[in-house]
Amino acid sequence: MMATQPAKLVEVEAVSKRFTPQVSLGDRLAALLGSPVETRTVHAVDRVSFGIEAGEVLGLVGESGCGKSTLGRVIAGIHPPSEGRASIAGVTVMGDGRTPLKRTTRIQMVFQDPFASLDPRVRIGETISEGPLAHGLVTRADAQDYVTRWLTAVGLPAEAAGRFPHQFSGGQRQRVAIARALAMQPDVLVCDEPVASLDVSIQAQIINLFLKLRRELGLTMLFISHDLGVVRHLCDRVAIMYLGRIVEIGPAAQIFATPRHPYTRALLDSVPKLVTGRDELVTFKPIQGELPSPLSPPPGCHFHQRCPRAEARCRSEAPELAGRPDAVTGHAVACHFPLADEA
Amino acid sequence: MSPVLLDVSGLTTRFATRAGSLNAVEDVSFTVAEGEIVGLVGESGSGKSVTGFSILGLIDPPGRIVSGSVKLNGRELVGLSHAELRSMRGREIAMVFQDPSATLNPVLTIETQMRLAIAAHENLGDAAARARCIEVLGAVGIPDAARRIEAYPHQFSGGMRQRVAIAIALLNRPKLIICDEPTTALDVSIQAQILTEMKSLAARLGTAMIWISHDLATVSSVASRILVMYAGRLIEAGPMAQVLRQPHHPYTRGLLGSLPGMAPPGEDLVQIPGTMPSLIDLPKGCAFQPRCGFADAQCATMPALSAGAGRRVRCHHPLAAETVP
Repeated sequence: MMATQPAKLVEVEAVSKRFTPQVSLGDRLAALLGSPVETRTVHAVDRVSFGIEAGEVLGLVGESGCGKSTLGRVIAGIHPPSEGRASIAGVTVMGDGRTPLKRTTRIQMVFQDPFASLDPRVRIGETISEGPLAHGLVTRADAQDYVTRWLTAVGLPAEAAGRFPHQFSGGQRQRVAIARALAMQPDVLVCDEPVASLDVSIQAQIINLFLKLRRELGLTMLFISHDLGVVRHLCDRVAIMYLGRIVEIGPAAQIFATPRHPYTRALLDSVPKLVTGRDELVTFKPIQGELPSPLSPPPGCHFHQRCPRAEARCRSEAPELAGRPDAVTGHAVACHFPLADEA
Repeated sequence: MSPVLLDVSGLTTRFATRAGSLNAVEDVSFTVAEGEIVGLVGESGSGKSVTGFSILGLIDPPGRIVSGSVKLNGRELVGLSHAELRSMRGREIAMVFQDPSATLNPVLTIETQMRLAIAAHENLGDAAARARCIEVLGAVGIPDAARRIEAYPHQFSGGMRQRVAIAIALLNRPKLIICDEPTTALDVSIQAQILTEMKSLAARLGTAMIWISHDLATVSSVASRILVMYAGRLIEAGPMAQVLRQPHHPYTRGLLGSLPGMAPPGEDLVQIPGTMPSLIDLPKGCAFQPRCGFADAQCATMPALSAGAGRRVRCHHPLAAETVP
């Protein structure tokens, strides 16, 4: 890397992740004897590259099965990538599956379901202090004050430390999960659908909490969500994923105002909007068809079967994410026939 | 205005729990006209689903309807026997649930399940029954219905399964379909497809619908009238666009302000402080009072739902000429 180029805090370079179920002994023997054995490999993430600047919030958007959660987990070091490399400040998060798991405190994760991500038998205070104690971020003597500090930061009373998860509502539990992640003083926070399971009024409270924490701590975040409204509200930049690939990436304002990829356009058109006009006629322009299976993604551009602009070339040749995907202000699109800016 | 199809009045459904008895639905009154789509909105625990179940008589002990009436075309449904309810369900009122993988039987083919639904109400010959199934599946947008009808639920995607569930609800041409969060579990692109199809089906067949959802935007795109529930009670009702443009209840306004998109990106949303109270331990008077910025001494008494066919609100201090930006 050239010295003049500002380093991204998070670098994702051509990361792919495939899941192949273990082949049974019988199948292995059958394969040895020459019979064709079907391997069902899921191509969850396919050569994805992008960077996140320090202090930036990148939204990762897509429908179920597009690989957004898997990508988040690869970046957080939960899954090793099949190919490529994810690094934080130049340090690889995790190599291939054979190198031992590198324990890092530089990245933390907040999960979707706070009912599943908190241990029901452990008091909140212990849940929050366990990691920092293990990594020597705080001494046992200071642990209580430390927990109080983070509980306050997420808007919970200090007494919460002595309670168990079941004594909290969903929104409060999500606050605990955020406090637990922040107490590790990570450089990067990966949030996987952190507000998806919450009621609208509670969701607004947690969104405001993220906004506050961002202002106060300068958090760098990868914010994974299927909810375009939430992403638009919280994120500086947005990456749209479809079937394992990033099809468009750019500043949030630009993506929402002038999407260039037909899929992004269609996704935006699919979101129900609040109808407040007297006789406003609601028309969706739904995307035709369904998401193809990641077990056998279509050749060429993955979106071509559902795309109104598809031509012969789209069926055979996968478009690259052209443009300047790494530039902060860059708006890059993986499409042979992108929409013009006036769309 | 079309004649009234469903008339719910003073409906109260109580559940006896170990911690005490609670009214999941309390004193709920509303009507649905023929062919009308009404949106029923609220957060978890507001009683919106229990209202739907109560209309269908699907309340099992420890729950029961303690008072009120549900009239369909003038016929009282509360207090009907199991057999009478069974013959009504599916034929006159059908329901579509949130999770299609939980409502379809995994070991029966789609055809078998659909034929059972027809056989429950009507004696139709083999060929005629099959033809009706295929026709309805086609109407809800399942391609190649004649072949797909022999498949099992697991061979369908989530969106297709929900279409099958909708098809089953339509089979006996009910006058009213209660849809309980039918698109919540689906991806946005599939949700848009189903919303579009449901709307055009309802218009074509003249079916009335109660669309239960927590998502204001979804409801606003299908329904013409909105009912807002909070802690078991109806707190606001009226024509959709009017209520959304100018909510009278502070809770409705708070709910609208909570939507991302109501504030410029990056700015704090107008949030409602606190959480919904437990139904076992409701505050005195208006249930929203502890979270309300307009609450005063008067709010310690329960406000009545204002009467009238147009806009109704249950609040001592309804918001006047204020508009959500």
